[in-house]
Amino acid sequence: MPEPTHGFRIDEQKCGGHLACMRACPTQAIRVKEGKARLLPRLCIDCGSCLQVCPSGAIQATTRSFAEIDKFKYKVAVPSPALFGQFPLVISPEHIVAGLQGLGFDAVWDFAVELALVNRAILDYVDNWQGPHPLLSVSCPVTVRLVQVLYPAMVEQLIPIEVPRELAGRELKQKYSAELGLAPDEIAAIYITPCQAKTISILEPAEGAESNLDGAIGISDVYNDILALTRTPEERGMRASLKSLIGSVELLRWSTSQGQGRILGHHRYMSVTGLSNVVQVFDDIEKGKLRNIEYLECHACWGGCVGGNLTVDNTYVTLSKIHHLLSELPDDDPRLEAEVERRYAQESFSLKGRVTPRATENTVADLKERVKQMKAQEAVFKALPGLDCGLCGAPSCKTFAKDVAEGSARPSECVFFSDQRLKQLRQTYLRGKKPPPESKP
Amino acid sequence: MAEELLRKTFQVRGRDFDKAGETAAEIKQILKGLGIDSGLIHRAVVIAFEAEMNVVMYASEGTITFVLTDEDIRLEITDNGPGIENIEMALTEGFSTASDEMREMGFGFGMGLPNIRKNSDGFNIESQVGVGTTVAAMIGLDSSA
Repeated sequence: MPEPTHGFRIDEQKCGGHLACMRACPTQAIRVKEGKARLLPRLCIDCGSCLQVCPSGAIQATTRSFAEIDKFKYKVAVPSPALFGQFPLVISPEHIVAGLQGLGFDAVWDFAVELALVNRAILDYVDNWQGPHPLLSVSCPVTVRLVQVLYPAMVEQLIPIEVPRELAGRELKQKYSAELGLAPDEIAAIYITPCQAKTISILEPAEGAESNLDGAIGISDVYNDILALTRTPEERGMRASLKSLIGSVELLRWSTSQGQGRILGHHRYMSVTGLSNVVQVFDDIEKGKLRNIEYLECHACWGGCVGGNLTVDNTYVTLSKIHHLLSELPDDDPRLEAEVERRYAQESFSLKGRVTPRATENTVADLKERVKQMKAQEAVFKALPGLDCGLCGAPSCKTFAKDVAEGSARPSECVFFSDQRLKQLRQTYLRGKKPPPESKP
Repeated sequence: MAEELLRKTFQVRGRDFDKAGETAAEIKQILKGLGIDSGLIHRAVVIAFEAEMNVVMYASEGTITFVLTDEDIRLEITDNGPGIENIEMALTEGFSTASDEMREMGFGFGMGLPNIRKNSDGFNIESQVGVGTTVAAMIGLDSSA
Protein backbone atom coordinates (compact mmCIF):
# COMPACT_ATOMS: atom_id res chain seq x y z
CA MET A 1 0.00 0.00 0.00
CA PRO A 2 1.50 3.37 -0.95
CA GLU A 3 2.05 5.77 1.93
CA PRO A 4 -0.28 8.76 1.85
CA THR A 5 1.17 12.04 0.57
CA HIS A 6 1.19 14.94 2.99
CA GLY A 7 0.88 18.69 2.70
CA PHE A 8 4.17 19.53 4.38
CA ARG A 9 7.69 18.26 4.86
CA ILE A 10 10.24 18.23 7.64
CA ASP A 11 13.61 19.76 6.77
CA GLU A 12 16.19 17.46 8.42
CA GLN A 13 18.90 20.12 8.27
CA LYS A 14 16.83 22.61 10.23
CA CYS A 15 15.20 20.14 12.64
CA GLY A 16 16.63 20.55 16.14
CA GLY A 17 14.78 17.55 17.58
CA HIS A 18 12.93 19.79 20.04
CA LEU A 19 10.00 17.36 20.52
CA ALA A 20 7.47 20.20 20.23
CA CYS A 21 5.93 18.75 17.06
CA MET A 22 5.81 15.28 18.57
CA ARG A 23 3.96 16.55 21.63
CA ALA A 24 1.55 18.67 19.59
CA CYS A 25 0.53 15.90 17.19
CA PRO A 26 -3.06 14.78 17.93
CA THR A 27 -2.63 11.38 16.29
CA GLN A 28 0.83 10.51 17.66
CA ALA A 29 2.25 10.49 14.15
CA ILE A 30 5.71 11.85 14.98
CA ARG A 31 8.71 10.19 16.62
CA VAL A 32 12.07 11.83 17.27
CA LYS A 33 14.95 9.51 16.51
CA GLU A 34 18.63 10.53 16.72
CA GLY A 35 17.56 14.10 17.36
CA LYS A 36 15.42 14.35 14.20
CA ALA A 37 11.64 14.34 13.84
CA ARG A 38 10.21 11.57 11.69
CA LEU A 39 6.67 11.29 10.38
CA LEU A 40 4.55 8.14 10.40
CA PRO A 41 2.62 8.99 7.23
CA ARG A 42 -0.31 6.64 7.85
CA LEU A 43 -1.23 8.38 11.07
CA CYS A 44 -0.80 11.96 9.85
CA ILE A 45 -4.05 13.86 9.25
CA ASP A 46 -2.46 17.04 7.86
CA CYS A 47 -3.73 19.25 10.67
CA GLY A 48 -0.55 21.33 10.69
CA SER A 49 -0.28 21.37 14.51
CA CYS A 50 3.42 20.46 14.17
CA LEU A 51 4.06 23.22 11.69
CA GLN A 52 2.84 25.88 14.08
CA VAL A 53 4.86 24.80 17.10
CA CYS A 54 8.24 24.01 15.50
CA PRO A 55 10.79 26.39 17.09
CA SER A 56 13.27 25.83 14.25
CA GLY A 57 10.89 26.53 11.38
CA ALA A 58 11.82 23.11 10.01
CA ILE A 59 8.32 22.11 8.94
CA GLN A 60 7.10 23.72 5.75
CA ALA A 61 3.75 23.53 3.99
CA THR A 62 4.04 22.33 0.42
CA THR A 63 2.00 24.61 -1.78
CA ARG A 64 2.35 25.38 -5.48
CA SER A 65 4.89 27.87 -6.74
CA PHE A 66 3.94 30.44 -9.36
CA ALA A 67 6.50 28.91 -11.71
CA GLU A 68 4.64 25.58 -11.66
CA ILE A 69 1.39 27.29 -12.58
CA ASP A 70 2.92 29.16 -15.50
CA LYS A 71 2.77 26.11 -17.72
CA PHE A 72 -1.01 26.47 -17.97
CA LYS A 73 -2.48 28.64 -20.73
CA TYR A 74 -5.24 30.14 -18.60
CA LYS A 75 -4.94 30.54 -14.85
CA VAL A 76 -7.93 31.00 -12.59
CA ALA A 77 -7.68 31.81 -8.89
CA VAL A 78 -10.36 30.35 -6.63
CA PRO A 79 -9.95 32.34 -3.44
CA SER A 80 -11.07 30.92 -0.13
CA PRO A 81 -13.59 33.30 1.40
CA ALA A 82 -11.14 33.66 4.29
CA LEU A 83 -8.85 35.69 1.98
CA PHE A 84 -11.23 38.65 1.98
CA GLY A 85 -11.00 39.19 5.72
CA GLN A 86 -7.20 39.32 5.82
CA PHE A 87 -6.62 42.90 4.74
CA PRO A 88 -7.25 46.31 6.30
CA LEU A 89 -10.82 47.36 5.48
CA VAL A 90 -9.62 50.12 3.11
CA ILE A 91 -8.61 47.28 0.82
CA SER A 92 -11.92 46.04 -0.54
CA PRO A 93 -12.70 42.66 -2.09
CA GLU A 94 -12.48 44.42 -5.46
CA HIS A 95 -8.88 45.41 -4.71
CA ILE A 96 -8.07 41.89 -3.69
CA VAL A 97 -9.43 40.53 -6.95
CA ALA A 98 -7.41 43.13 -8.87
CA GLY A 99 -4.38 42.15 -6.80
CA LEU A 100 -4.75 38.49 -7.76
CA GLN A 101 -4.97 39.49 -11.42
CA GLY A 102 -1.88 41.62 -10.93
CA LEU A 103 -0.10 38.49 -9.71
CA GLY A 104 -0.70 36.80 -13.04
CA PHE A 105 -4.11 35.15 -12.74
CA ASP A 106 -6.27 35.60 -15.82
CA ALA A 107 -9.48 35.36 -13.83
CA VAL A 108 -10.76 35.11 -10.29
CA TRP A 109 -13.68 32.81 -9.51
CA ASP A 110 -16.34 33.70 -6.96
CA PHE A 111 -17.82 30.35 -5.94
CA ALA A 112 -20.95 31.72 -4.29
CA VAL A 113 -23.15 29.75 -6.69
CA GLU A 114 -21.30 26.50 -5.94
CA LEU A 115 -21.66 27.23 -2.24
CA ALA A 116 -25.38 27.71 -2.56
CA LEU A 117 -25.64 24.52 -4.62
CA VAL A 118 -23.72 22.52 -2.02
CA ASN A 119 -25.85 23.95 0.77
CA ARG A 120 -28.92 22.80 -1.04
CA ALA A 121 -27.51 19.35 -1.70
CA ILE A 122 -26.61 19.05 2.00
CA LEU A 123 -30.10 20.03 3.07
CA ASP A 124 -31.59 17.42 0.70
CA TYR A 125 -29.25 14.76 2.03
CA VAL A 126 -30.00 15.56 5.67
CA ASP A 127 -33.73 15.52 4.87
CA ASN A 128 -33.52 11.99 3.51
CA TRP A 129 -30.83 10.40 5.69
CA GLN A 130 -31.97 7.25 7.51
CA GLY A 131 -28.61 6.17 8.96
CA PRO A 132 -26.88 7.10 12.21
CA HIS A 133 -26.65 10.73 13.28
CA PRO A 134 -25.06 13.20 13.20
CA LEU A 135 -23.93 13.55 9.61
CA LEU A 136 -20.49 15.20 9.47
CA SER A 137 -19.33 18.03 7.23
CA VAL A 138 -16.48 17.25 4.81
CA SER A 139 -15.24 20.70 3.89
CA CYS A 140 -12.35 20.53 6.37
CA PRO A 141 -9.89 17.89 5.06
CA VAL A 142 -8.40 17.49 8.55
CA THR A 143 -11.62 16.41 10.23
CA VAL A 144 -12.26 13.98 7.37
CA ARG A 145 -8.81 12.44 7.84
CA LEU A 146 -9.31 12.41 11.60
CA VAL A 147 -12.37 10.21 11.06
CA GLN A 148 -10.45 7.94 8.68
CA VAL A 149 -7.61 7.45 11.14
CA LEU A 150 -9.15 7.59 14.63
CA TYR A 151 -12.89 7.08 14.13
CA PRO A 152 -13.15 4.49 11.34
CA ALA A 153 -16.62 3.39 12.45
CA MET A 154 -17.91 6.90 11.67
CA VAL A 155 -16.89 7.10 7.99
CA GLU A 156 -20.45 6.45 6.82
CA GLN A 157 -21.52 9.58 8.70
CA LEU A 158 -19.30 11.80 6.52
CA ILE A 159 -21.74 13.49 4.18
CA PRO A 160 -20.87 12.35 0.63
CA ILE A 161 -21.45 15.75 -0.96
CA GLU A 162 -18.71 17.45 -2.96
CA VAL A 163 -17.16 20.60 -1.46
CA PRO A 164 -17.78 23.97 -3.15
CA ARG A 165 -14.15 24.54 -4.16
CA GLU A 166 -14.17 21.27 -6.11
CA LEU A 167 -17.42 22.14 -7.89
CA ALA A 168 -15.90 25.51 -8.69
CA GLY A 169 -12.94 23.78 -10.34
CA ARG A 170 -15.28 21.66 -12.46
CA GLU A 171 -17.51 24.55 -13.48
CA LEU A 172 -14.80 27.05 -14.31
CA LYS A 173 -12.97 24.56 -16.52
CA GLN A 174 -16.15 23.86 -18.44
CA LYS A 175 -16.95 27.52 -18.79
CA TYR A 176 -13.53 28.76 -19.84
CA SER A 177 -12.75 25.86 -22.11
CA ALA A 178 -16.00 26.54 -23.98
CA GLU A 179 -15.44 30.29 -24.06
CA LEU A 180 -11.77 30.26 -24.96
CA GLY A 181 -11.56 27.10 -27.02
CA LEU A 182 -8.99 25.56 -24.67
CA ALA A 183 -8.75 21.98 -23.41
CA PRO A 184 -9.74 21.66 -19.73
CA ASP A 185 -6.19 20.61 -18.84
CA GLU A 186 -4.81 23.83 -20.30
CA ILE A 187 -6.74 25.72 -17.67
CA ALA A 188 -5.41 25.90 -14.12
CA ALA A 189 -7.84 26.16 -11.21
CA ILE A 190 -5.76 27.27 -8.25
CA TYR A 191 -7.23 27.47 -4.79
CA ILE A 192 -6.00 30.36 -2.65
CA THR A 193 -5.90 28.41 0.57
CA PRO A 194 -6.01 29.27 4.27
CA CYS A 195 -4.28 26.01 5.24
CA GLN A 196 -1.92 23.34 3.90
CA ALA A 197 -4.58 20.68 4.49
CA LYS A 198 -6.57 21.92 1.48
CA THR A 199 -3.44 21.46 -0.60
CA ILE A 200 -3.31 17.82 0.32
CA SER A 201 -7.02 17.41 -0.30
CA ILE A 202 -6.26 18.51 -3.86
CA LEU A 203 -3.15 16.35 -4.30
CA GLU A 204 -4.75 13.30 -2.73
CA PRO A 205 -8.49 13.57 -2.00
CA ALA A 206 -9.71 11.44 0.93
CA GLU A 207 -12.32 9.83 -1.31
CA GLY A 208 -9.59 8.48 -3.59
CA ALA A 209 -10.79 10.32 -6.70
CA GLU A 210 -9.01 13.03 -8.65
CA SER A 211 -9.41 16.69 -7.71
CA ASN A 212 -10.88 19.23 -10.13
CA LEU A 213 -8.35 21.75 -8.85
CA ASP A 214 -4.73 21.92 -9.98
CA GLY A 215 -3.10 23.06 -6.79
CA ALA A 216 -3.19 25.63 -4.06
CA ILE A 217 -1.28 28.73 -3.07
CA GLY A 218 -1.30 29.88 0.53
CA ILE A 219 -2.97 33.13 1.51
CA SER A 220 0.31 34.11 3.15
CA ASP A 221 2.06 33.70 -0.23
CA VAL A 222 -0.11 36.29 -1.96
CA TYR A 223 -0.74 38.64 0.97
CA ASN A 224 2.25 40.97 0.63
CA ASP A 225 1.92 41.26 -3.12
CA ILE A 226 -1.74 42.20 -2.93
CA LEU A 227 -0.92 44.70 -0.20
CA ALA A 228 1.85 46.22 -2.34
CA LEU A 229 -0.48 46.68 -5.30
CA THR A 230 -2.87 48.75 -3.23
CA ARG A 231 -0.48 50.82 -1.16
CA THR A 232 -1.23 54.33 -2.44
CA PRO A 233 -4.52 56.22 -2.06
CA GLU A 234 -4.67 56.50 -5.88
CA GLU A 235 -4.49 52.77 -6.27
CA ARG A 236 -7.07 52.31 -3.58
CA GLY A 237 -9.23 54.92 -5.31
CA MET A 238 -9.71 52.59 -8.26
CA ARG A 239 -12.27 50.73 -6.16
CA ALA A 240 -15.11 52.60 -7.84
CA SER A 241 -13.98 51.51 -11.26
CA LEU A 242 -13.71 47.82 -10.45
CA LYS A 243 -16.51 45.43 -11.11
CA SER A 244 -17.73 43.89 -7.91
CA LEU A 245 -17.04 40.18 -7.70
CA ILE A 246 -18.96 39.47 -4.56
CA GLY A 247 -22.63 40.10 -5.18
CA SER A 248 -24.19 38.87 -1.95
CA VAL A 249 -23.45 37.52 1.49
CA GLU A 250 -23.28 33.92 0.27
CA LEU A 251 -19.52 33.55 -0.25
CA LEU A 252 -18.31 35.37 2.83
CA ARG A 253 -20.81 33.76 5.16
CA TRP A 254 -19.22 30.38 4.44
CA SER A 255 -15.99 31.55 6.04
CA THR A 256 -17.61 32.01 9.42
CA SER A 257 -17.75 28.73 11.28
CA GLN A 258 -21.50 28.86 11.80
CA GLY A 259 -21.89 29.27 8.06
CA GLN A 260 -23.98 26.19 7.43
CA GLY A 261 -26.42 26.44 10.33
CA ARG A 262 -28.63 28.88 8.50
CA ILE A 263 -29.36 26.55 5.60
CA LEU A 264 -30.56 23.58 7.60
CA GLY A 265 -33.89 24.99 8.66
CA HIS A 266 -35.58 22.91 11.34
CA HIS A 267 -32.80 20.28 11.50
CA ARG A 268 -30.72 20.10 14.66
CA TYR A 269 -27.33 21.57 13.84
CA MET A 270 -24.10 21.99 15.74
CA SER A 271 -20.81 23.66 14.90
CA VAL A 272 -17.48 22.84 16.48
CA THR A 273 -14.07 24.38 15.78
CA GLY A 274 -10.58 23.63 17.09
CA LEU A 275 -9.09 20.16 16.78
CA SER A 276 -9.17 19.37 20.52
CA ASN A 277 -12.86 20.27 20.62
CA VAL A 278 -13.56 18.22 17.51
CA VAL A 279 -11.87 15.22 19.15
CA GLN A 280 -14.04 15.63 22.26
CA VAL A 281 -17.20 15.81 20.20
CA PHE A 282 -16.19 12.83 18.02
CA ASP A 283 -15.49 10.83 21.20
CA ASP A 284 -19.01 11.57 22.36
CA ILE A 285 -20.51 10.64 18.99
CA GLU A 286 -18.60 7.38 18.99
CA LYS A 287 -19.95 6.55 22.44
CA GLY A 288 -23.44 6.99 21.04
CA LYS A 289 -24.12 10.45 22.44
CA LEU A 290 -25.28 13.44 20.38
CA ARG A 291 -27.61 11.29 18.32
CA ASN A 292 -30.19 14.04 18.32
CA ILE A 293 -27.84 16.35 16.38
CA GLU A 294 -28.52 15.82 12.68
CA TYR A 295 -25.66 17.71 11.09
CA LEU A 296 -22.30 18.61 12.57
CA GLU A 297 -20.14 21.22 10.94
CA CYS A 298 -16.57 20.68 12.08
CA HIS A 299 -13.36 22.59 11.47
CA ALA A 300 -9.94 21.70 12.82
CA CYS A 301 -8.90 25.35 13.09
CA TRP A 302 -10.19 27.58 15.84
CA GLY A 303 -12.86 29.86 14.42
CA GLY A 304 -13.03 27.84 11.18
CA CYS A 305 -11.05 28.46 7.99
CA VAL A 306 -10.28 32.07 8.95
CA GLY A 307 -8.00 30.52 11.58
CA GLY A 308 -6.05 28.46 9.04
CA ASN A 309 -2.29 28.21 9.41
CA LEU A 310 -1.60 29.97 6.11
CA THR A 311 -3.69 33.01 7.00
CA VAL A 312 -2.03 36.24 8.06
CA ASP A 313 -4.31 38.25 10.30
CA ASN A 314 -5.59 37.27 13.74
CA THR A 315 -8.63 34.97 13.54
CA TYR A 316 -10.91 37.21 15.56
CA VAL A 317 -9.90 40.40 13.78
CA THR A 318 -10.58 38.60 10.50
CA LEU A 319 -14.01 37.52 11.69
CA SER A 320 -14.81 41.06 12.74
CA LYS A 321 -13.82 42.37 9.31
CA ILE A 322 -15.89 39.71 7.57
CA HIS A 323 -18.90 40.65 9.66
CA HIS A 324 -18.36 44.26 8.58
CA LEU A 325 -18.09 43.25 4.92
CA LEU A 326 -21.24 41.15 5.27
CA SER A 327 -23.17 44.13 6.65
CA GLU A 328 -22.46 46.03 3.45
CA LEU A 329 -23.73 43.30 1.15
CA PRO A 330 -27.29 42.56 0.10
CA ASP A 331 -28.81 39.42 1.64
CA ASP A 332 -30.21 38.12 -1.61
CA ASP A 333 -28.92 38.11 -5.11
CA PRO A 334 -31.62 37.22 -7.63
CA ARG A 335 -29.04 36.35 -10.29
CA LEU A 336 -27.45 33.86 -7.94
CA GLU A 337 -30.82 32.34 -7.06
CA ALA A 338 -31.65 31.89 -10.73
CA GLU A 339 -28.29 30.30 -11.45
CA VAL A 340 -28.65 27.89 -8.51
CA GLU A 341 -32.13 26.97 -9.70
CA ARG A 342 -30.86 26.25 -13.18
CA ARG A 343 -27.80 24.22 -12.20
CA TYR A 344 -29.25 22.25 -9.29
CA ALA A 345 -31.43 20.19 -11.59
CA GLN A 346 -28.59 19.47 -14.03
CA GLU A 347 -25.53 18.62 -11.97
CA SER A 348 -24.37 15.90 -9.65
CA PHE A 349 -23.12 16.91 -6.23
CA SER A 350 -22.04 13.53 -4.92
CA LEU A 351 -18.47 12.91 -3.87
CA LYS A 352 -16.67 11.10 -6.67
CA GLY A 353 -15.59 8.24 -4.41
CA ARG A 354 -16.23 6.76 -1.00
CA VAL A 355 -14.25 7.79 2.03
CA THR A 356 -12.96 4.63 3.72
CA PRO A 357 -11.04 4.04 6.96
CA ARG A 358 -7.27 4.31 6.62
CA ALA A 359 -5.34 1.19 7.62
CA THR A 360 -3.17 2.45 10.46
CA GLU A 361 -3.14 -0.24 13.11
CA ASN A 362 -1.66 -3.61 13.58
CA THR A 363 -0.61 -5.33 10.43
CA VAL A 364 -0.17 -8.75 12.07
CA ALA A 365 -2.74 -11.03 10.48
CA ASP A 366 -3.42 -13.51 13.28
CA LEU A 367 -5.79 -12.26 15.98
CA LYS A 368 -4.12 -14.40 18.64
CA GLU A 369 -0.78 -12.76 17.82
CA ARG A 370 -2.36 -9.33 18.00
CA VAL A 371 -3.81 -10.04 21.45
CA LYS A 372 -0.37 -11.25 22.53
CA GLN A 373 1.13 -8.02 21.26
CA MET A 374 -1.47 -5.97 23.14
CA LYS A 375 -0.73 -7.84 26.36
CA ALA A 376 2.99 -7.25 25.81
CA GLN A 377 2.23 -3.56 25.33
CA GLU A 378 0.33 -3.46 28.62
CA ALA A 379 3.22 -5.16 30.39
CA VAL A 380 5.74 -2.66 28.99
CA PHE A 381 3.47 0.24 29.89
CA LYS A 382 3.18 -0.92 33.49
CA ALA A 383 6.94 -0.89 33.84
CA LEU A 384 7.31 2.67 32.53
CA PRO A 385 7.39 5.74 34.82
CA GLY A 386 4.29 7.32 33.23
CA LEU A 387 5.85 10.79 33.01
CA ASP A 388 5.40 11.17 29.25
CA CYS A 389 8.74 13.01 29.17
CA GLY A 390 9.22 12.20 25.50
CA LEU A 391 12.98 11.58 25.78
CA CYS A 392 12.56 8.13 24.24
CA GLY A 393 11.34 9.88 21.11
CA ALA A 394 7.68 8.87 21.50
CA PRO A 395 5.03 11.33 22.70
CA SER A 396 3.85 9.31 25.70
CA CYS A 397 4.74 6.22 27.72
CA LYS A 398 1.69 4.59 26.19
CA THR A 399 2.83 5.18 22.62
CA PHE A 400 6.34 4.06 23.54
CA ALA A 401 4.94 0.80 24.98
CA LYS A 402 3.08 0.26 21.72
CA ASP A 403 6.22 0.92 19.67
CA VAL A 404 8.16 -1.54 21.83
CA ALA A 405 5.47 -4.22 21.50
CA GLU A 406 5.42 -3.74 17.74
CA GLY A 407 9.20 -3.86 17.56
CA SER A 408 9.88 -0.32 16.31
CA ALA A 409 11.45 0.78 19.62
CA ARG A 410 13.60 -0.89 22.28
CA PRO A 411 12.98 -0.63 26.07
CA SER A 412 16.53 0.72 26.45
CA GLU A 413 15.45 3.89 24.64
CA CYS A 414 13.75 4.96 27.90
CA VAL A 415 16.21 7.02 29.98
CA PHE A 416 14.91 5.39 33.16
CA PHE A 417 16.26 2.05 31.98
CA SER A 418 19.48 3.07 30.33
CA ASP A 419 22.37 5.34 31.29
CA GLN A 420 23.63 4.83 27.78
CA ARG A 421 20.50 6.48 26.43
CA LEU A 422 21.02 9.48 28.70
CA LYS A 423 24.61 9.79 27.54
CA GLN A 424 23.49 9.65 23.94
CA LEU A 425 20.87 12.37 24.53
CA ARG A 426 23.53 14.59 26.17
CA GLN A 427 25.65 14.25 23.05
CA THR A 428 22.74 15.04 20.75
CA TYR A 429 21.32 17.98 22.64
CA LEU A 430 24.14 19.49 24.76
CA ARG A 431 26.92 19.10 22.18
CA GLY A 432 29.70 19.43 24.72
CA LYS A 433 28.05 22.15 26.85
CA LYS A 434 29.14 22.15 30.50
CA PRO A 435 26.66 22.26 33.39
CA PRO A 436 26.18 25.71 35.01
CA PRO A 437 28.04 26.22 38.33
CA GLU A 438 26.20 25.21 41.52
CA SER A 439 25.37 28.22 43.71
CA LYS A 440 26.85 27.92 47.20
CA PRO A 441 24.54 28.12 50.16
CA MET B 1 -14.89 -24.68 21.19
CA ALA B 2 -13.89 -21.04 21.08
CA GLU B 3 -10.63 -20.11 22.74
CA GLU B 4 -10.70 -17.17 25.13
CA LEU B 5 -8.01 -14.62 24.25
CA LEU B 6 -8.79 -11.62 26.43
CA ARG B 7 -11.07 -10.82 29.36
CA LYS B 8 -11.68 -7.49 31.09
CA THR B 9 -14.19 -6.52 33.74
CA PHE B 10 -15.34 -2.95 34.25
CA GLN B 11 -17.27 -1.56 37.22
CA VAL B 12 -20.09 0.85 36.42
CA ARG B 13 -21.55 3.15 39.07
CA GLY B 14 -25.25 3.91 38.95
CA ARG B 15 -26.39 7.56 38.66
CA ASP B 16 -22.93 8.56 37.52
CA PHE B 17 -23.95 10.35 34.33
CA ASP B 18 -20.69 12.23 34.25
CA LYS B 19 -18.64 9.05 33.68
CA ALA B 20 -21.24 7.27 31.57
CA GLY B 21 -19.79 6.03 28.30
CA GLU B 22 -16.25 5.48 29.57
CA THR B 23 -16.47 1.69 29.56
CA ALA B 24 -17.75 1.75 26.00
CA ALA B 25 -14.85 4.03 25.08
CA GLU B 26 -12.31 1.69 26.70
CA ILE B 27 -13.73 -1.32 24.91
CA LYS B 28 -13.52 0.59 21.68
CA GLN B 29 -9.85 1.42 22.29
CA ILE B 30 -9.05 -2.24 22.92
CA LEU B 31 -10.84 -3.45 19.79
CA LYS B 32 -9.36 -0.69 17.67
CA GLY B 33 -5.88 -1.46 18.96
CA LEU B 34 -6.43 -5.05 17.90
CA GLY B 35 -7.38 -3.98 14.41
CA ILE B 36 -10.90 -5.46 14.60
CA ASP B 37 -13.17 -4.53 11.67
CA SER B 38 -14.64 -1.05 12.23
CA GLY B 39 -18.22 -2.23 11.63
CA LEU B 40 -17.89 -4.85 14.37
CA ILE B 41 -16.33 -2.27 16.70
CA HIS B 42 -19.24 0.04 16.07
CA ARG B 43 -21.74 -2.65 17.02
CA ALA B 44 -19.80 -3.62 20.14
CA VAL B 45 -19.56 0.02 21.22
CA VAL B 46 -23.30 0.57 20.75
CA ILE B 47 -24.03 -2.52 22.86
CA ALA B 48 -21.58 -1.48 25.56
CA PHE B 49 -22.88 2.08 25.61
CA GLU B 50 -26.55 1.14 25.83
CA ALA B 51 -25.80 -1.42 28.52
CA GLU B 52 -23.73 1.07 30.45
CA MET B 53 -26.53 3.63 30.26
CA ASN B 54 -29.05 1.10 31.54
CA VAL B 55 -26.86 0.46 34.57
CA VAL B 56 -26.30 4.18 35.13
CA MET B 57 -30.00 4.98 34.82
CA TYR B 58 -31.55 2.16 36.82
CA ALA B 59 -29.04 0.46 39.12
CA SER B 60 -26.70 1.53 41.90
CA GLU B 61 -23.92 -0.59 40.50
CA GLY B 62 -23.09 -3.10 37.83
CA THR B 63 -20.30 -4.78 35.94
CA ILE B 64 -19.57 -5.11 32.26
CA THR B 65 -17.43 -8.08 31.30
CA PHE B 66 -15.76 -8.00 27.93
CA VAL B 67 -14.46 -11.25 26.49
CA LEU B 68 -12.69 -11.73 23.18
CA THR B 69 -12.35 -15.23 21.81
CA ASP B 70 -10.92 -16.33 18.50
CA GLU B 71 -14.49 -16.50 17.20
CA ASP B 72 -16.46 -13.70 18.79
CA ILE B 73 -16.77 -10.66 21.04
CA ARG B 74 -18.90 -11.24 24.16
CA LEU B 75 -20.31 -8.67 26.52
CA GLU B 76 -22.02 -9.59 29.75
CA ILE B 77 -23.70 -6.90 31.79
CA THR B 78 -24.92 -7.58 35.30
CA ASP B 79 -26.57 -5.06 37.59
CA ASN B 80 -28.35 -4.92 40.91
CA GLY B 81 -31.14 -2.73 39.56
CA PRO B 82 -34.89 -3.14 40.09
CA GLY B 83 -35.18 -5.94 37.55
CA ILE B 84 -37.53 -6.02 34.58
CA GLU B 85 -41.12 -7.11 35.10
CA ASN B 86 -42.04 -7.69 31.49
CA ILE B 87 -39.03 -8.55 29.38
CA GLU B 88 -40.99 -8.78 26.13
CA MET B 89 -42.27 -5.24 26.65
CA ALA B 90 -38.78 -3.98 27.53
CA LEU B 91 -37.53 -5.34 24.22
CA THR B 92 -40.11 -3.33 22.27
CA GLU B 93 -38.67 -0.32 20.46
CA GLY B 94 -39.86 2.87 22.09
CA PHE B 95 -41.02 1.29 25.33
CA SER B 96 -39.38 3.08 28.23
CA THR B 97 -39.70 3.53 31.96
CA ALA B 98 -37.21 6.41 31.98
CA SER B 99 -37.97 9.58 33.94
CA ASP B 100 -38.47 12.94 32.25
CA GLU B 101 -35.10 13.97 33.64
CA MET B 102 -33.38 11.11 31.79
CA ARG B 103 -35.21 11.94 28.57
CA GLU B 104 -34.15 15.56 28.89
CA MET B 105 -30.55 14.35 28.89
CA GLY B 106 -31.16 12.53 25.63
CA PHE B 107 -31.59 9.03 27.04
CA GLY B 108 -34.48 6.77 27.84
CA PHE B 109 -36.16 6.68 24.45
CA GLY B 110 -36.81 2.98 24.79
CA MET B 111 -34.10 2.02 22.34
CA GLY B 112 -31.58 0.59 24.80
CA LEU B 113 -32.38 -3.12 24.93
CA PRO B 114 -33.77 -3.23 21.38
CA ASN B 115 -30.52 -1.63 20.17
CA ILE B 116 -28.44 -4.18 22.05
CA ARG B 117 -30.41 -7.04 20.54
CA LYS B 118 -30.32 -5.51 17.07
CA ASN B 119 -26.52 -5.25 17.15
CA SER B 120 -25.88 -8.75 18.54
CA ASP B 121 -25.61 -12.09 16.78
CA GLY B 122 -26.52 -13.80 20.05
CA PHE B 123 -28.57 -12.23 22.81
CA ASN B 124 -29.86 -13.37 26.16
CA ILE B 125 -31.52 -11.55 29.03
CA GLU B 126 -32.36 -12.76 32.51
CA SER B 127 -34.00 -10.60 35.11
CA GLN B 128 -35.50 -11.00 38.55
CA VAL B 129 -37.60 -8.22 40.03
CA GLY B 130 -35.91 -6.79 43.12
CA VAL B 131 -32.62 -8.58 42.41
CA GLY B 132 -31.19 -7.40 39.11
CA THR B 133 -30.67 -8.03 35.44
CA THR B 134 -28.06 -9.86 33.39
CA VAL B 135 -27.73 -9.23 29.67
CA ALA B 136 -25.41 -11.28 27.47
CA ALA B 137 -24.61 -10.21 23.93
CA MET B 138 -22.35 -11.82 21.35
CA ILE B 139 -20.95 -10.60 18.05
CA GLY B 140 -19.34 -13.12 15.73
CA LEU B 141 -15.98 -11.97 14.35
CA ASP B 142 -16.83 -13.23 10.87
CA SER B 143 -20.31 -11.66 10.83
CA SER B 144 -21.05 -8.48 9.01
CA ALA B 145 -24.10 -6.28 9.30
